Amino acid sequence: MATESVHDVALTLHDQLPILQLVVPFLAAPLVMVVGAGRGVAWLIAFLASLAAFAISALLLAQVIDGGFLSYQIGGWAPPLGIEYRIDAVNAFLLFLISGVSTLVLPFAYESVKAEIAERNQALFYTCYLLCFAGLLGVTITGDAFNVFVFLEISSLSTYAIIAAGADRDRRALTAAYDYLVMGTIGATFFVIGLGLLYMMTGTLNMGDLADRIAPQTDNRTIQAAFAFIVVGMGLKIAIYPLHLWLPNAYTYAPSAVTAFLAATATKVAVYVLLRFSFSVFSPGFAFENYTYELIILPFAILAMFAASFIAIFQTDLKRMLAYSSIAQIGYMLLGLSLMNASGLAATMVHLFNHGITKAVLFMGVGALTLRAGSSFYASIRGMGRAMPLTAAAMVVGGLSLIGVPGTAGFISKWVLVQAAFEKGWWPVAFLIVLSSLLAVVYVWRFVETLYLHEPARDAAEAPLTMVVPIWITALACVWFGINTDITMTAANTAAETLLSGSTGLAEPSPWTSALPAGEASH
Amino acid sequence: MLESIPTAFLFFAMGLLAMAVPKGAARSALLVVIPLIAAWQVWTLPEGNLAPVTFFGLDLELMRVDRLSRVFGLIFCLIAALGNLYAWHLKDTVQQVAAPLYAGSAIGAVFAGDLVTLFFYWEGTAIASVFLIWARRTLGAYNTGLRYLIIQVGSGVILMAGIALLYAETGSIAFDRMTLGSLGTWCIFFAFGIKCAFPLLHNWLQDAYPAATITGTVVLSAFTTKLAVYALARGFAGTEILIYIGAIMTLFPIFFAEIENDMRRVLSYSLNNQLGFMVVGIGVGSEMALNGTAAHAFVHILYKALLFMSVGAVLYRTGKVKASELGGLYRTMPLTATFCLVGAASISAFPLFSGFIAKALILDQAAAHHHAIVWGALVFASAGVLSHSGIKIPFFTFFAHDSGMRPKEAPTHMLIAMGITAFLCIFIGVFPGTLYAILPYEVDYHPYTAAHVVGQLLLLCFALLAFGVLYRTGRHPAEIRCINVDSDVIYRKAAPSVVHIAARAISAIWQAHAGFWMRKTDLVLRGLYASHGPEGRMARVWPTGAMVLWIAILLGVTLAVIFVT
Amino acid sequence: MSDHRPATDDDLPALGRLLTWVDRPGSGTKLFRALGGFCAALLVIDLLISKHGHFHIEDVWAFYGVYGFLSFVCVIYGAKTLRFFAKRNEDYYGAQAIDREDYPLDQTGVTKEADDA
Repeated sequence: MATESVHDVALTLHDQLPILQLVVPFLAAPLVMVVGAGRGVAWLIAFLASLAAFAISALLLAQVIDGGFLSYQIGGWAPPLGIEYRIDAVNAFLLFLISGVSTLVLPFAYESVKAEIAERNQALFYTCYLLCFAGLLGVTITGDAFNVFVFLEISSLSTYAIIAAGADRDRRALTAAYDYLVMGTIGATFFVIGLGLLYMMTGTLNMGDLADRIAPQTDNRTIQAAFAFIVVGMGLKIAIYPLHLWLPNAYTYAPSAVTAFLAATATKVAVYVLLRFSFSVFSPGFAFENYTYELIILPFAILAMFAASFIAIFQTDLKRMLAYSSIAQIGYMLLGLSLMNASGLAATMVHLFNHGITKAVLFMGVGALTLRAGSSFYASIRGMGRAMPLTAAAMVVGGLSLIGVPGTAGFISKWVLVQAAFEKGWWPVAFLIVLSSLLAVVYVWRFVETLYLHEPARDAAEAPLTMVVPIWITALACVWFGINTDITMTAANTAAETLLSGSTGLAEPSPWTSALPAGEASH
Repeated sequence: MLESIPTAFLFFAMGLLAMAVPKGAARSALLVVIPLIAAWQVWTLPEGNLAPVTFFGLDLELMRVDRLSRVFGLIFCLIAALGNLYAWHLKDTVQQVAAPLYAGSAIGAVFAGDLVTLFFYWEGTAIASVFLIWARRTLGAYNTGLRYLIIQVGSGVILMAGIALLYAETGSIAFDRMTLGSLGTWCIFFAFGIKCAFPLLHNWLQDAYPAATITGTVVLSAFTTKLAVYALARGFAGTEILIYIGAIMTLFPIFFAEIENDMRRVLSYSLNNQLGFMVVGIGVGSEMALNGTAAHAFVHILYKALLFMSVGAVLYRTGKVKASELGGLYRTMPLTATFCLVGAASISAFPLFSGFIAKALILDQAAAHHHAIVWGALVFASAGVLSHSGIKIPFFTFFAHDSGMRPKEAPTHMLIAMGITAFLCIFIGVFPGTLYAILPYEVDYHPYTAAHVVGQLLLLCFALLAFGVLYRTGRHPAEIRCINVDSDVIYRKAAPSVVHIAARAISAIWQAHAGFWMRKTDLVLRGLYASHGPEGRMARVWPTGAMVLWIAILLGVTLAVIFVT
Repeated sequence: MSDHRPATDDDLPALGRLLTWVDRPGSGTKLFRALGGFCAALLVIDLLISKHGHFHIEDVWAFYGVYGFLSFVCVIYGAKTLRFFAKRNEDYYGAQAIDREDYPLDQTGVTKEADDA
């Protein structure tokens, strides 16, 4: 085998991409703090780190988009003892989303952060931002269950800090961050309890190994309880409907750039973890897992689609409205997941991505409006569509994508989701999807109407170019991915197939990186 | 070169150009000339699938040109030019952009060779057209526009569901003749039915068209419903249920039109009634019946636009459109009155006018296929058309009692637009061969036989006589300020009341429930949280507590589900 | 008074002046009688022509005339009955509903006319 001969060959940078994906932002974080307050330097380092991460993720995605996976062993320690990073279409797609959104949000953040965060805190802010970014990447990339928890905590703790950074503008950010801290910790605790139970029963923490050892003991109550703890713990991070209460405040009071970044990435990463555990560690063939999805996740997903949309309709603050809309959209992702078939999973994956960029446009737009209008209340952004035509027009594009109008990214995901529901034969569910989209029409219309059909509340200039450009790049991406679906649908379909084919098992103990084709993984 | 561009794109380009060209004569001229170029393009295009595109793995046909789509495409281009000429005075970018986009979507839908393309344009007509209503810029128009939009977009959503089902079933998205049976085809049929204003699905029409702007109504009257007629003719020709749906459509609007006070709503009911004739033709489904439907759609678009134009001109000059406030305007607006009479004679199907040569095809086919009761209903409806569109519109607007108003004659560009349309109505009536030549199938029919002419004249003149008798004896219903409830009462009155009551009940229950949990969680968590929270708000306390409660409940339920099953 | 508000019939456009005949006393009766005469003439012609309708009843003398007359009467009385049930005040759907609203004058030629004057 070719892989045998690779053992002692000098490593190229290319082979080290998986670890570089994390190392770059992780090293940049302390660097930002050390270099410190110098105007723009902190930002520049953060941006370059993010850009590098984006490039790396694109390279990784290109390697696995057609199937197969990369396995990287930290320090050359073979799993299950050593920590393994394992990249397949599922998480490569997500790495691409996270680093892409971060790279777009950072240019936007430059002005936004200057306006919203006190200067002495800015370097610290970028440090925490990078830690959060790196943490999210880490959760996504790792193939080790406990490592997921560690990275989750890294990202969560820094998330609490960057949400609290909104306190310079609104003191309520502190309570929001504090609430999120309490709840997030409870969620993480549940998750780690679940991991503990699994470790108790299997004695391993590598995902592939876990899957192999769980398979023979599905009737074990402890294993089943572990699944419940992991689902509920992650459910909180995802903001599944009744566990969403931390989200509106956190999104509303966080700095604009943070909201844009978190809304597009953080909950998506949590959905990914749920996917990974449901399909690669546990197996969709387990009866108890099916029941959990059909009897618990599905009803709550549908509830979220409606209840959160209704709440969104009656909001008076645009940012808060979008936060509730996110909760509703998470409902769609979970719905796709609970269909438990290939097209449902593809719908979830593609909606992860499409909703990520859609919300990025909208929250960046809100940030730009806040910069000029002072707040995001409907009362103060009234008529701003005329004062800020570029920002407002991009937000309309985002709004259309949120509804799922044909020609936008949002349409693709809903179309696939509806198809998946039909495929499963659940056409009442398909009908509910369409019905709930009508609610999106209502809340999107409310802000479009507020922006355009009122006399301007104040004179304001268009947002600075550093904001308008990333907003429009993302808005155009919404349209682009609504028309050209090559990348998103291929990646989503491959991801869905990868997930459905179950665990890829423990990787061959070979040092550093080994690229394995899908079929030959477990020989 | 022109061949390779789908006609719809010409209109979209026109809409974009209209934004760039400054308001005034240049923009107005642009809006008249491009539809004429488009008409010429449609006229000269060869038949076939001219613009195949692959999108999202689907093979789309953007330009399927055959004789059926050509006749609809042609009249759509023509009426777009005439409608824009009528709106020459407009200095409203919203309408001048919306109208081309709307017309373009309708034309695109007509030439769509597959259902996915049809769906895109179908929604396009809904979204673009609502701006012609909102351009009135009043609260009433805004609310009406929203109702209209919801129903129209709803039709598109149902269409999409139908397409998805059909695709799942057959694996094809081709837009060809379908047979009712599966859920998918029923969804598509229903979506078409909404746009075609089937009975009980019709009320958006009478609600929205009188609410649009003067020029907007003229444009609106041409496209949406006739697009639906085209779609039905393409997809469901020969579906028997359509015969009965169509017959009912010809009947019930007559009575509403007779007692309606708003002249543009009278015309909307009349429009609905005319659609009934076309739907019957589709239901009969023979080649000649489909010819009749296409011919009737063609002439109907012209004379209905003409009637809307003349009533619109009156509205433009007087600001009034209600029968109870109008009358005697022939004195100062004699030309408008004349054109209105031409439109009235055409819609009533007097010999030598266009309605005569088109409607006859449908009636003849209904009779030839032995639908005696339907035929009787259609003849009855023909007399009914005379009552509201033939008599009521011109008589109570321009004659009857003198309102005392002496407005100026309509502006020149409106007169020209009405004049051309009126000319076409008469020209087609006198030379039916010109229209028959472009119909989808070979025509073997001669409208001007002695029996047909005399029969039609007998029908109409005795109906006129009846009007004379009733009017002179004071038995004709008076024109009074009022409205009449139609099926819209369900969603404009009943549903809001139900929602209102339900909302009050839910909010009462919710308040009680929330209060209960707030007190409980306060009690449990006060000690724990009193020292926490930088701002110490109690409002911040309960969501956290509730959340913990929820997570516990959810874990319990999940474990229960897992263990029990 | 401006020229577009004619005080007398002489200021009307030619066609309009011609049409004022219909409002003269007795004109209505004349028109009605002319229509009656025309109908009678049609009935006579109906006797003379040969007819081959799809249904036998079409060939009966004066069928279309009777059918038209009765249809019209039915429409009128049907409409009156409907009005009895369906009639509502204009503010039935609320004071700001479209049914209640006048067309905005600034979008008509009325105000421009006033400006000219």
